[in-house]
Amino acid sequence: MPIDWDPIWLTLRLAGITTLLLLLIGVPLAGWLALSRFRLKPIVEAIISLPLVLPPSVVGFYLLLTFSPTSWLGAWLLRTINLQLVFSFEGLVVASLIYSLPFMVHPVQAGVENLPTSWREASYTLGQSPTKTLWRVLLPNCKPALLTGIVLTFAHTIGEFGLVLMIGGNLPGQTRVASIAIYDEVELLHFETAHAYAVLLLGLSFAILLLVYAINKRVTV
Amino acid sequence: MIQIDVVMSRLFTEGASDLQVKLELQSGSLTALVGPSGSGKTTVLRLLAGLEIPRQGRIVVGESVWLDTYRRINRSPQQRSIGYVFQDTALFPNMTVRENIQYAAPKDQQTLVDELIEATGLESFVNQKPIRLSGGQRQRVALARALVRRPQLLLLDEPFAALDAKASQMLRQVLLELHQRWGTTTLLVSHHEIDVQALADRVIQLVQGRVESDERIGSTNSYLTGSERIIRIEYDENQQHWLIETASMKLQSTNPDWEQWNVGDLIQVAPGNHSGTAKIK
Repeated sequence: MPIDWDPIWLTLRLAGITTLLLLLIGVPLAGWLALSRFRLKPIVEAIISLPLVLPPSVVGFYLLLTFSPTSWLGAWLLRTINLQLVFSFEGLVVASLIYSLPFMVHPVQAGVENLPTSWREASYTLGQSPTKTLWRVLLPNCKPALLTGIVLTFAHTIGEFGLVLMIGGNLPGQTRVASIAIYDEVELLHFETAHAYAVLLLGLSFAILLLVYAINKRVTV
Repeated sequence: MIQIDVVMSRLFTEGASDLQVKLELQSGSLTALVGPSGSGKTTVLRLLAGLEIPRQGRIVVGESVWLDTYRRINRSPQQRSIGYVFQDTALFPNMTVRENIQYAAPKDQQTLVDELIEATGLESFVNQKPIRLSGGQRQRVALARALVRRPQLLLLDEPFAALDAKASQMLRQVLLELHQRWGTTTLLVSHHEIDVQALADRVIQLVQGRVESDERIGSTNSYLTGSERIIRIEYDENQQHWLIETASMKLQSTNPDWEQWNVGDLIQVAPGNHSGTAKIK
């Protein structure tokens, strides 16, 4: 049976967009968490880490309720910018952003925190702001942590199942990503196709991790 | 004039106690802060830099109040006019020597960057990353970087700690030259007596967070007595004579005894003998 490539491309598109957006959101957030002395920081950290401990179906269920057109937020989004987040690709992106956030934030935060404190202090005594210090001094010196964040986010998004199923369902070309396609094919007893998808995901994940370890070994500041 | 009066709870080797320091530093002076490990020397530098906040106290630099806990004034490190040379140099590994120095330089001060690179003898290394430099070269980069904003106060935390004798001597020479040229008020923390004797005009000993002794030894008085510190000494192979340079004069001699002098040594020069056969006492 010929394999349908749409779920694979959709998965890669979802993982790519999620990783890119999380670079823009997660890296500054990680930097702020690493440098801030904000008293309520533990609360922010706990909220970011919730997806690590909650079953994906729980996160998916609440996102489904939050984004549903019958909810206040869902109705407002639909009315003002004509955006429906339930059973749509955009909804998958938003859900993946929330679900994969700790996979970007934690490595980068740890990377920044592990750098010598004197580097940031030297920058401050040279009159430079925490933001400039983060972008010019700290982040360029924790490339392996950044790379780990990028890869974990990408790989984790590729492997999402429960959350995607809850918020996106199984709409071919829109929300039917590779992990859903495998489940679907197994249910239909199409083991050969399921196997093909599974091998593709396995190979892709292995190639990404191999690349990371190879690059990480060579990354020097 | 810099006035410091701070109290801070701190853990010393003999238990928790208060670090209590009250000092006045003359503008343009070079003061050494000495004392046993854990006596609070680095903490004093960090308090001045705004990297630590005391329980109570005041820090006033000239007309400007950097800290006043009673009036809830506490300027951030960015708002204090300081240059800080950290013990580990804290050079940014992703930047070259020039980029490290340029990092904090005002845009219209590129000439100053070049001047500092030249003064610290770093011309040949400007495009190198810090990892490729020796300990002495790194300290010189850190010094140039700390001075690039022309700070009111220069803080040096054990700059000679990891250097061999030759590198120490070169750094002393650079430090003295820059101090003589710009007169930046400087507070130096050091364990090495030779460095303290060579550089400082005042030595403050700190024990368990308290000032144990405060001794004025150097150039402030030496100008009155006709003494000056050597900022450069070298032997001219071609002319077969020694050259000694102080802040105000250059001396030369074929006398082999001049070999004993080092950069930082205090010398007394007979009036009028600004060249040729100056007699050094």
